[in-house]
Amino acid sequence: MERIIEQLPRFFSGPNMLLLLEAAGLTLGMTIVGCLIGFALAFVLVFLRQTPGLIWFPLRLICILYVEVFRRIPFIVVVYLVLFFIQTVTPNASLFTIAVIAICLYAVAYTADIIRGGLESVPQTQVEAAQVMNLSRLQINLMVVLPQAWPVIIPPAIAFAVSFIKDTALVSQVGVFELAFRGKELNNQGFSGILVFGTIALCYFILSFPLSLLGQHLEKRLATPRGQRRSR
Amino acid sequence: MNYRFQFGVVWDNFGALLEGALLTFQLGVIAFGGGAIIGLICATLKTYGPWPVRALVNTYVVFITNTPALIQIYFLFFGLPEVGIRWSNEACLLIGLTLNAGAYLTMILRAGFLSVRITELEAGQTLGMSLIQQVRYIIVPHIAKSIYPALANFFIVVLVMGTSVGALIGVDELTGQAINLSAVNYRWLEYFTVVAGMYVVLTLVASIGLALLGRWAFRVKARIF
Repeated sequence: MERIIEQLPRFFSGPNMLLLLEAAGLTLGMTIVGCLIGFALAFVLVFLRQTPGLIWFPLRLICILYVEVFRRIPFIVVVYLVLFFIQTVTPNASLFTIAVIAICLYAVAYTADIIRGGLESVPQTQVEAAQVMNLSRLQINLMVVLPQAWPVIIPPAIAFAVSFIKDTALVSQVGVFELAFRGKELNNQGFSGILVFGTIALCYFILSFPLSLLGQHLEKRLATPRGQRRSR
Repeated sequence: MNYRFQFGVVWDNFGALLEGALLTFQLGVIAFGGGAIIGLICATLKTYGPWPVRALVNTYVVFITNTPALIQIYFLFFGLPEVGIRWSNEACLLIGLTLNAGAYLTMILRAGFLSVRITELEAGQTLGMSLIQQVRYIIVPHIAKSIYPALANFFIVVLVMGTSVGALIGVDELTGQAINLSAVNYRWLEYFTVVAGMYVVLTLVASIGLALLGRWAFRVKARIF
C-alpha cells in the first residue's frame, strides 16, 4: 500500500498522462474507424444476401457463412490471422492498419446481423407496394426500407461499437500502442499493478460509459411502442 | 505471395489442440455457471433489495460491463500479488471471467424478472397457488422463455471471447495452446486457421446442444444460426 502512495506522484507525471491520453485516442480511433468501415461493408453484405435467383446462390452462401463463422471465432484469433496473413502479403503494413482490418472483419459479421434484423422489421407490405410502383431493388432499399429501418438498426449498432471499445484491448497482444499495451508497459517499468491497471480500467470506463449512456438514450428515443410500427 | 501452407505440423500436434479445446470448454462452463449464480443473486437483490444494496449491485454491474475483461484479469494477475494474494493463471482467468459474466448475466436475468407481469402473479394467487407453486409454474417458465435465447447467446460469448483472453496470461486453452505451438515452428497461419475451425465446431456443438435443451426443458424455439 505504501508502495502505491510512494509511486503516485511519479505515476501521474505529465509524460505518463500524455502517453495514456494518446493511447486512449488510439483505442477510440481504432474502434471508430474499424466499426464505421465495417458498418458500410455490412450493408453491402446484407444487400448481396438479398440477391434473388439461383445464379447468385453461391454468393448468398458465402455471405451467410461469413457471418456465421466470424461470430464463432474469438477476436484474438482473427487478429493473429490478419496479422500473419497481411505480413506475408505486404511485410511493411503498419500494426494500426492490421488492427483496423481485424476490427473491420469482425464488425462486418456482427453489424450485418443487426442490419438484417432492422430491414426485416419493416413490414413486407411496404416492399410489395414499392415493387408495384416499379421501383428497382436499390431504390426500394434506399427509399422505402432503410428510412423505416434506421430506428431499429442504430441503437444496437452503437451498442456493438461501444462494447467493441473494450474488446480492442486484445489488440495489445500484437503490439499496437493502445491502452492495454501501455498499461502492461508501465507495469513492466515497475509501477504497481493495482495502480496501473486500476487507472487503465478507469480510462476504459471514461471512454465507454458516456457512449453507452448515449446508446441507451437513443434506444429509448427511437424505440416505437409496439403496434405503432405497422400503422406508420 | 509465395507462402506455402504446411498443415502437416498442425496434424502432428492435433492432440494438444484438442486438450486446449477441452480446457476452453471447461473454463467456459465453469465461468458461465459461476456467473449465473452471481447473476441470479445480484438480479434478485437489484429487483427486491433495499436501496443501498441496489446501488452497490448497480455499481458492480456498471463498472464491470464498461471495462475490458482483459484489464480485469490483468488486475487480478499482476495487481493482487502485491497485496499478498497469489493465484495461478487458471484461477485468475476463472475468477475474472466469472465476475465479468456475473455482471452481464445480472442484466439479462433482471430483464427476465421484469418481464413477469404482476397480473400473472395475481392470477396465480387467485387460483390459490403457494409461493413455491407460483415460482415453479409462473415465474420460471415465463423467465426461461423470455431470456433463454439471450442466455444461450451469452454462453457462446463466454465460451469464445471470454476464455480466449486466457491466452494473454498464459493459460493453455485453445488459443493459448495455438500460440505456444506456433511459437515453436512459426506455422502461425496454419495453426490459427485450424484453431478457428475448431472454435466454429465447438460453438456449433454448444449451440445445437443448447437449442435442443431449450426445446426439451422450456419449449423455447432457440435458433441455432
